[in-house]
Amino acid sequence: MKPASERKVATIRYAEYSAAFKYLVEQGLDCKFILQPKQTQRTEKIGEKYSPDMVCTPFKTILGSLVEALEAGADTIIMPNGICRLSYYGELFRKILLDEGYEFDFINLNEYAMGGKTRDLIKGIGSVNPKVKMTHLISAGMESIKMVEYLDEITYEYYKGCGFDPTGGWRKAYKRFLAAMYRADTKAAIEKAYLDAKQGFDSTPLVKPAHPLKVGVIGEFYTAVDSFSNREVEDKLAGMGVEVHRWMNLSHRLIHYPGEKNLNVEIREYCTYEMGPTSTANIWAAKHYAEQGFHGLVHIKSANCTPEIDIVPILQKLSGQYKIPLLILTCDTQTSDVGLMTRLEAFYDMIEAKGRQLK
Amino acid sequence: MDVGSISTKGVIIDDENNILSSAYIWTEGDPIGAVKKLLHLLEEDFPKGDFQIVATGTTGSARKLTGSIIGATAVKNEITAHAVGTTTFYPDVRTILEIGGQDSKIILVENRVAVDYAMNTLCAAGTGAFLSSQAKRLGIEAEDIASYALRSEHPTPIAARCTVFAESDLVHKIQMGHSKEDILAGICDAVVANYLNNVGKGKKIVSPVVFQGGVSKNQGVVAAFEKALGCKITVDENGHLMGALGAAIIARRSGARREFDFSVENMEFYTREASCGRCPNNCEIVCVYRGGELIDAWGNRCERGAVTVKGNRS
Repeated sequence: MKPASERKVATIRYAEYSAAFKYLVEQGLDCKFILQPKQTQRTEKIGEKYSPDMVCTPFKTILGSLVEALEAGADTIIMPNGICRLSYYGELFRKILLDEGYEFDFINLNEYAMGGKTRDLIKGIGSVNPKVKMTHLISAGMESIKMVEYLDEITYEYYKGCGFDPTGGWRKAYKRFLAAMYRADTKAAIEKAYLDAKQGFDSTPLVKPAHPLKVGVIGEFYTAVDSFSNREVEDKLAGMGVEVHRWMNLSHRLIHYPGEKNLNVEIREYCTYEMGPTSTANIWAAKHYAEQGFHGLVHIKSANCTPEIDIVPILQKLSGQYKIPLLILTCDTQTSDVGLMTRLEAFYDMIEAKGRQLK
Repeated sequence: MDVGSISTKGVIIDDENNILSSAYIWTEGDPIGAVKKLLHLLEEDFPKGDFQIVATGTTGSARKLTGSIIGATAVKNEITAHAVGTTTFYPDVRTILEIGGQDSKIILVENRVAVDYAMNTLCAAGTGAFLSSQAKRLGIEAEDIASYALRSEHPTPIAARCTVFAESDLVHKIQMGHSKEDILAGICDAVVANYLNNVGKGKKIVSPVVFQGGVSKNQGVVAAFEKALGCKITVDENGHLMGALGAAIIARRSGARREFDFSVENMEFYTREASCGRCPNNCEIVCVYRGGELIDAWGNRCERGAVTVKGNRS
C-alpha cells in the first residue's frame, strides 16, 4: 500500500453524492480525491463490456465509473456497502478490475459493515490513512452526512419547482448549489451553500397553477435516485409542467429510515413480509402519494432488479384501488430516449386529462 | 399522419370527423418517401375545391420527422393519439387493444379518458412482425392467415413467450405432422397469449373492448381474443387508421392553424446524422434538410449539442 499522503482515492458515481464523499476523503482522510467524469454512454459501454449480460444495470454503470476513476488516476477505491446485492458486488468489481490488469488498492466497506457496527465501518474508512485520528475522521464524517442530507433536501425542493421556472433562476440556484457542494472544504462552506440555495429558491418567482399536477417517483435505490441511470426522468417529467416528488434517497432510506416495522404497519393490507431492501418503503411511499391525491406514480427500476419486479403487482393493485395512474419504467443500458419519451408523454396526457376531470 | 415502423397511415377529416380521404401504405424503411407517397394518395381523393386543410397532426414512431417535414401543427405520441381516436368514435369503450407491426399496447379508459396504459418494450413477440414471419415460414401470405386459422378445430399449442422459441416450437410441430390450419390457429392463440401475458399483465380488461392496429385486420387473432377474454371484440373498419384519426382530431382541438400545401410532396427532404462529440455521450444528432436548408434537428441530450435552425418555428 502506498503512503496515505500519496494516495488518490475514488469511489463509485451515484447521483451527486460524490460531493459528500469527496469531502470525507479530503477533510477526514487527508487524501487526494479523484472525481471521475459524470457517467456517459461511454461509462455504460465499458461496464457492459466487463459485466455478465444478465446482471442488473447498476452493476454495469458502477463498474464503468470505477474504470473511469482508475483512468483518471485513482489508485485506491473505496467501495461503499449497499442494501441489496450491491454489497456483494464489491468483491466482484475487485476481481473483474484485477483481471483487466488494473492496479489499485480496494477497500470494500462491506467487509467491515457485515457485523452491523458503525465503529467497524469507520475503521474500514480509516484504514485508507492510518495516521488520521479517529476524532478527526468522525467529525468530517458527520459533516459529510450533513452534506448528504442537504443534497437530498435541496434536490427534493428543486424537482418540486423546476417545472414552473420561467426565468431559469430556480435551475441556476440548484446548479450553483451543486457546484458549491463539490467545492466545499469547511463546515461553514457547506452551510453557506445550503443557505444560498434556500435563498436562491425563495427569491425565484415560480409560475405555478393553484393545483399543479403532482407525480410521485418511487423505485430502486440506485436507478430511481441517479439521474443518469434513469435517463433524467425527473427532469423530463418536470419539464412538462409537473411537480415531481421522490421520497427515496440516501437520507430517507439510510440516515433517517423509519424502520422496516414502522413502515410495514402502514401497508399491512398490501404486504406482510419484507420483500427487499426498498420494497416496503416504495409501497409505503406509493400509498402515501395516492392518499395525498397525487395525479400519478412513476416506478423506476433497472432491468433484472428482482425485489422491485416483485412489488409491481402490489403497485398495480394500489393503482387500481386509488385510481392513480402508474407508469412502470425499466431502465437498461439499451433503453432508448425516444421510447422513454413516448411513454412519458402518454403518461402526461393521461394524468393531465384526469386532472382536468377532477377539477 | 401515423408513420409507424411497418406502415404509414393518413387521413383527412372534416369538422364532423367524416373521412374525406385516407391511405395506408408500407413504410418500407423510408419514412420520408412513404410520407410523400402517402400525400400523393391522399391528394387524389381529396375534394380540393370544397375544403381547405387548416391543421395537421402527426403520430407514430416517426412523428417528429414527419412533423417537421409537413410542418405539422400537432405532434403527439401514438398512445394518446389512439386513445383520442377511439374514444371519439366509441365513447363507451373501456379497453383498447392495439397490435401494430412492432409494438403492442393496451389502454384502459374510464369516462372517455385514458387511465392506464402499457406498451411492449424491447421484444417484438406477439406483434405483427411475429405473425408475418411465421406465415412466411409456412409459405403463405400474412393476409391469408385468418382464412386458414378459422378453419381449424384443434389449434396447436405453441410456446408463445419468445419469438425465437415460438419459431423452434413451430418447426417441431410442423415436423410432427400438424396441419397448417391448426398451426396457424395456434399462432393466433400464441399472439393473444403473449399479448395478455406481457402488456396485458395485471390490467383489468373490461368490456366494451375495441381492437385495432394492423393485426386487428386478422380475423384469426380477433377470434382468439374473443375466446381468451370471453367477450365480444369490436374491430372498426377504420381501425388501422385510428392513430391517424386521433392525430387529426388532436390537431383540430389544439387550435393551432397553419394551412397545408400539398406541394411538400414534390420537395426534396433528406436527413443527416452527426455525432456531437463534445462529450463521451456522443449524442447522435439528426438534422433534417429541405432542399439544402436545415429545417429541424434533434437528438442532443444537452445544450452543448444544440443545433440552431434559422427561423425555428418553436
